[in-house]
Amino acid sequence: MTKWKRIKLNEFKFPKVTDYNKEYLSYGQLPQGVELNKINKTNNNLIIENLNNNITGVGDEFTSHVMANYNTGISLYIPKSTNIEDPIKLEFNMDDENPTTIDQNIIIASANSESTIIFDYTSKDENNFHNGVTKVYAKKNSVVNIIKIQRMDDKSYNFDSNIAYIEGRAVVNWISVEIGSDISGSNFTSILEDEASEGNLASIYLGNGTRKMDLEYTMIHKGRRSISNIETRGVLMDQATKVFRGNLDFKKGAKLSKGVEEEFVVLLDPTVKSHSIPALLCEEDDVQGEHAASAGQINDNQLFYLMSRGLDIREAKQLIIQASFRPILDKIPMDDLRDLILEEIDRRLLNG
Amino acid sequence: MERKKTNIEDIDRGIYDIKDEFTYKYKSDHGLSREVILEISKEKNEPQWMTDFRLKSLEIYNSMPVPAWGADLKDLDMDNIITYIRPNTEMKHSWDDVPDDIKNTFERLGLPQAERESLAGVGAQYDSEVVYHNIRKELVDAGIVFMDIESALMEHEDIVKEYFMKLVPPQDHKFAALHGAVWSGGSFVYVPEGVNVDIPLQSYFRLNAPGAGQFEHTLIIVEKGANLHFIEGCSAPQYKVNNLHAGCVELFVKEDATLRYSTIENWSRNMYNLNTKRALVDKNGTIEWVSGSFGSKVSMLYPMSILKGEGARSEFTGITFASTGQYLDTGTKVVHAAPNTTSTVNSKSISKNGGHAFYRGLLKVTKDAHGSKSTISCESLMLDNESKSDTLPVIELYNDDIDIGHEAKIGRISDEAIFYLMSRGIDEEEAKAMIVRGFVEPITKELPLEYAVELNNLINIELEGSIG
Repeated sequence: MTKWKRIKLNEFKFPKVTDYNKEYLSYGQLPQGVELNKINKTNNNLIIENLNNNITGVGDEFTSHVMANYNTGISLYIPKSTNIEDPIKLEFNMDDENPTTIDQNIIIASANSESTIIFDYTSKDENNFHNGVTKVYAKKNSVVNIIKIQRMDDKSYNFDSNIAYIEGRAVVNWISVEIGSDISGSNFTSILEDEASEGNLASIYLGNGTRKMDLEYTMIHKGRRSISNIETRGVLMDQATKVFRGNLDFKKGAKLSKGVEEEFVVLLDPTVKSHSIPALLCEEDDVQGEHAASAGQINDNQLFYLMSRGLDIREAKQLIIQASFRPILDKIPMDDLRDLILEEIDRRLLNG
Repeated sequence: MERKKTNIEDIDRGIYDIKDEFTYKYKSDHGLSREVILEISKEKNEPQWMTDFRLKSLEIYNSMPVPAWGADLKDLDMDNIITYIRPNTEMKHSWDDVPDDIKNTFERLGLPQAERESLAGVGAQYDSEVVYHNIRKELVDAGIVFMDIESALMEHEDIVKEYFMKLVPPQDHKFAALHGAVWSGGSFVYVPEGVNVDIPLQSYFRLNAPGAGQFEHTLIIVEKGANLHFIEGCSAPQYKVNNLHAGCVELFVKEDATLRYSTIENWSRNMYNLNTKRALVDKNGTIEWVSGSFGSKVSMLYPMSILKGEGARSEFTGITFASTGQYLDTGTKVVHAAPNTTSTVNSKSISKNGGHAFYRGLLKVTKDAHGSKSTISCESLMLDNESKSDTLPVIELYNDDIDIGHEAKIGRISDEAIFYLMSRGIDEEEAKAMIVRGFVEPITKELPLEYAVELNNLINIELEGSIG
């Protein structure tokens, strides 16, 4: 495999894919008509139906690897006007017995439905590997919330490609939490196909140790009055490397659309590497597109104030970091999940 | 006001489009070969090291691929470009000695008049050679050197040899290598320590021949504590065949020195403008770029500032106006390579009638550049939905002690603003033109008065017939 993007992943080979045998799916009450199935090689009607929608995601090598080797995942069909109140949760916990998660997820949300799906990727042992593809079809007026938490072990590799086809007045809200693994590449693409389609992406990332991340968020505006919002907060420390790519792509015909993207990164050490590439592509005049990016250190005055209140420097920094993540984390409606993420961040900051 | 609904192709570009009859004293064969280069070098009576340099650059050119990103260059057929044309005159120091047809061209462009009124010195290049060069006597007395680069190569060989293509080596990219092989003409400026040149110097590059290339080299050295404003102007008449401009500008700004480099580029719509500009700034020095890109079929132009000394500063102010059939890929690169360096980028682009404006930029802050600050702002205005406008700024940070802000906006003239102006009795077209002029005002105010007027005229030319 050749060098992968700016991270320059040299001599990378896909590991041998073995079965993923652990239980990973939990859910509450499913309303009538909802079809939720685990994916395996014999039960994949939805996958076959949607196979033609080839996506690039983090890269063709990775998505075609998923197509050929998937060993887990779900297919979810939500009928019209159905609201799944309890979130559906997928927890993949890789270990020596189940070292690879190659998940393929298809979510079809019919008109006027509402649903929340949580993906949580963790790993216990070194050299675990995750490569996945998630496709979301949000039909008219539906709302789909996807929360993806990646907190794998510092020696693991993570690749994740996500795409949503969003019809008129439908909304897809992505929340991405990237705080683990050694090498991580993720891509979230939203195609705003019709009138007033809406895609929102909120993400946080934490780069510590020697972690390298390539995070790409793409919003393709095709429909009139479509709306997109990318909001990213990050912290980099130690020798971490991060590449942020935010793409707002206004296609011809996307009149009166609006897209906003923002990235704020706090840099804590002189050894970090931070690349940001916010792209605005535009073929339609009657749109509003905006991007903003900023990078800097923790404000000395803030630190000084907190320390004058009796916090030591580490605690003070920790508090400021938490505060910068807070606006994104507050979008997660489950308290327990939010606390879990905050604990994980604290743990990683303390170890670092 | 009369409504004008002509297509942009039919617009009278006025003075810029008047062609002279194509006469020449010597021209090279089409295309590029060892023989062509040896001939150019021989015509110019160059020292051996320069001939060798040209041949080495040709090898590099042949070994490098055409850039795969940005503009589509497949219509650019190097085999059909004439790389060297010596006009029918020698270099003159008085306009009266310049042949009438060439002199009239520059008269129409307003150069001799500007020289009389507001410039300290002027160089004028016609096709491949500089035909006129003059500088006020008091500047010569102050030790300032302003001459065509061929003469500089004879008279100041050691300086030229020390700096020539050291900042933009031929290995940089394919068209830098091409430039190294076939360069001809351009200006050389040397401002000695502590000298303050308070009125600008200007070089004007005019490409008259069809199917030709212009490859001028501009080399400016501003010594410690000195100060200079240099203006570059470019234009060419419209032909049906493609022309190529692959110039190179190397600017050396020494300690505490300031250089302002202004460009108004108004090439015709058959021009591939693949120019390379770079400045190296020492301790507490300042480079200020003012760049207006209006013409050409394809432009790929990214003036680069390398802030090498502590406290160095760069400022980039640019405007790009893309219309029918134009792909203007412009932007700027800034490398913060020393502590406490600052940079400001302020870029505006306008696209209309199917034009494609692309802002492509790079900001790089190296490991050692602690305490650096940078702000980048890009704004794009689209006047219709046949046009395209893209923004791609790359930010690479290798250091934490910095303060970086970036903003970009894309959109069109708001209906409210037009409605307001119309309610005040201004008709729609004038209202739009007013808003566009307001949009570019931060750029025009950076220019000397007569260039601001020229820029406004250009915008009027470009806007006529665009609405309705």
